Amino acid sequence: MFSGEIGEGWHGKLWNAAVIVIGTLFTAIFLFPYVYILLSSLKPSDEVISTTPTFWPSDFTLENFKNMFNSMPIGDYFVNSLWAAILSTIICVILGSMASFAISRTMGSKFSYIFLVCVLCLKMLPLTSVAVPVYKIVQQLGLYDMKITLIVVYSAINLPFVLWMMVSFFQAVPKDLDEAACVDGATPFQTFRKIILPVCAPGIISTGIFTLLLAWNDFLFALLLTSTNAKTVPVAISEFLTAYNLDLGPMTSAAVLFSLPVIIISFFVQRYLVSATMAGSVKE
Amino acid sequence: MNILKRRDILYFLLPSAVFMIAFLFFPLLMLIFDSFFQTSDTGARSFIGFGNYLQAFTSGVFWKSTGNTLIYVIVAVGIELVLGLTLAIVFSHKFKGVSVLRTLALTPLMIAPLVAGLIWKFMLSNQFGIVNVLLEKLGIIASTDSILWLSDERVALISCIIADIWLTTPFMMLMLLAGIQGISDSLFEAARIEGATRMQVIFKIVIPVIKPVIISALVIRVIDAARSFDIIWAMTQGGPNFSSELLSVHIYEMLQRYGDVGYASAVAVLFIIILISITMLSMKKVWNVEQK
Repeated sequence: MFSGEIGEGWHGKLWNAAVIVIGTLFTAIFLFPYVYILLSSLKPSDEVISTTPTFWPSDFTLENFKNMFNSMPIGDYFVNSLWAAILSTIICVILGSMASFAISRTMGSKFSYIFLVCVLCLKMLPLTSVAVPVYKIVQQLGLYDMKITLIVVYSAINLPFVLWMMVSFFQAVPKDLDEAACVDGATPFQTFRKIILPVCAPGIISTGIFTLLLAWNDFLFALLLTSTNAKTVPVAISEFLTAYNLDLGPMTSAAVLFSLPVIIISFFVQRYLVSATMAGSVKE
Repeated sequence: MNILKRRDILYFLLPSAVFMIAFLFFPLLMLIFDSFFQTSDTGARSFIGFGNYLQAFTSGVFWKSTGNTLIYVIVAVGIELVLGLTLAIVFSHKFKGVSVLRTLALTPLMIAPLVAGLIWKFMLSNQFGIVNVLLEKLGIIASTDSILWLSDERVALISCIIADIWLTTPFMMLMLLAGIQGISDSLFEAARIEGATRMQVIFKIVIPVIKPVIISALVIRVIDAARSFDIIWAMTQGGPNFSSELLSVHIYEMLQRYGDVGYASAVAVLFIIILISITMLSMKKVWNVEQK
């Protein structure tokens, strides 16, 4: 875009230099906190909470990670987080794409309008508001602290978002494809599975990635609905918050381990993230 | 011709609808129902009509929370917009390493809000936080105890805002960048031919053309910022003295710490009404922009 044709000359060169400087500066500032935590997790454990903190570790050590593994069954928590995030995302994407398909094929009718408005309102709910009623429901159903609970709850909570994103993808698929498949004798579900889904695959993948992120990073519901059996990593990390627990070394290692996989994955799927945000933005 | 008959539509929609009704719609109804009751310590419930709502309107903490939420949203989203736009423009240039820089700059996007809150809590601590050490070394403050980011009423909210800006500016940047990349090249060609300067291109072409994207991003961010909970809870838990208490935090505290179900439900209902109104209003506005 700004490929240098506009305003050439020393003026242009100054601009380019300024752009590079600003870009690098901001990137450095944005990376700083995460890099700092990363380095802190590799410091000797008393250095992390020293009152004269330094940026660079005096010595690289995995003490904090060891302490973390010793002080709590963090491996279990990671597994819980993983199951909850992955399974709920799968459910969300399957159910959500089916529903979005149906909505996109009935656009313009009063029914789909009402449904979409409801979905939008549900999407806007503040989670702390519904968290406690959900807790009561979960208790009544006897699902407190069960591994399946978070899977079910995350699926429900993220559905409005998934629906909202996917409806626009499905709308972009021309109805001619449906008709062609129908003429060939396909049932609606077969049409959905074999024709529509492959066409919308990029959009579905993008939505799936975002949903995975939402479920992985959730804190509030995990806090309220789990205790020891189904605890997820964010809850475990929050337990380092208690005022009198000053051993922040394990906290930094947990934070690093928790965010690292997501960051690495994001590097690979940037393309999908960009297209998802694009779809979300140009939606209405 | 629609290949989906009524019955098929139902099958496709039903599973999703069941989930959402059970865990979103039904709790919402419970919330509204609870807001009209008062629950005593023994669990006995008594109907008090709008009593809880009255209590909210006359409660100092409620208004403080609302005010804090307003400040939080305006300041955080405002700064995120400006920063995000600047970065989007920067990263829309083609120079060596731009995609590497951009990928790196997106790092905070993936981090859990809770973890972001903890990272900043750690960094802003006046005991072992590196921020004050840096500021002291740069001569901006006198000692590492000059600014008590998390325990001084005057700056607690600002600390939370800083964490939020760090966490979500990349998102704004991403959205706006996508919008900028969607601008057709012919517009830039025309500008080049007209001899426009870069600043003119930014203000007279880029910003007006991506206005729909800016508005969409703003709506999404405003609602999300208003609902913030994780960051605040990790950093200050609403304190000190409710100076960083947002409505989300207030609702949670009232439910968990004080067990005042009726009052908390009423505040929650009010909050939801505000959020939905904002959404509806901006939806109308976005549609109008599109019609142009």
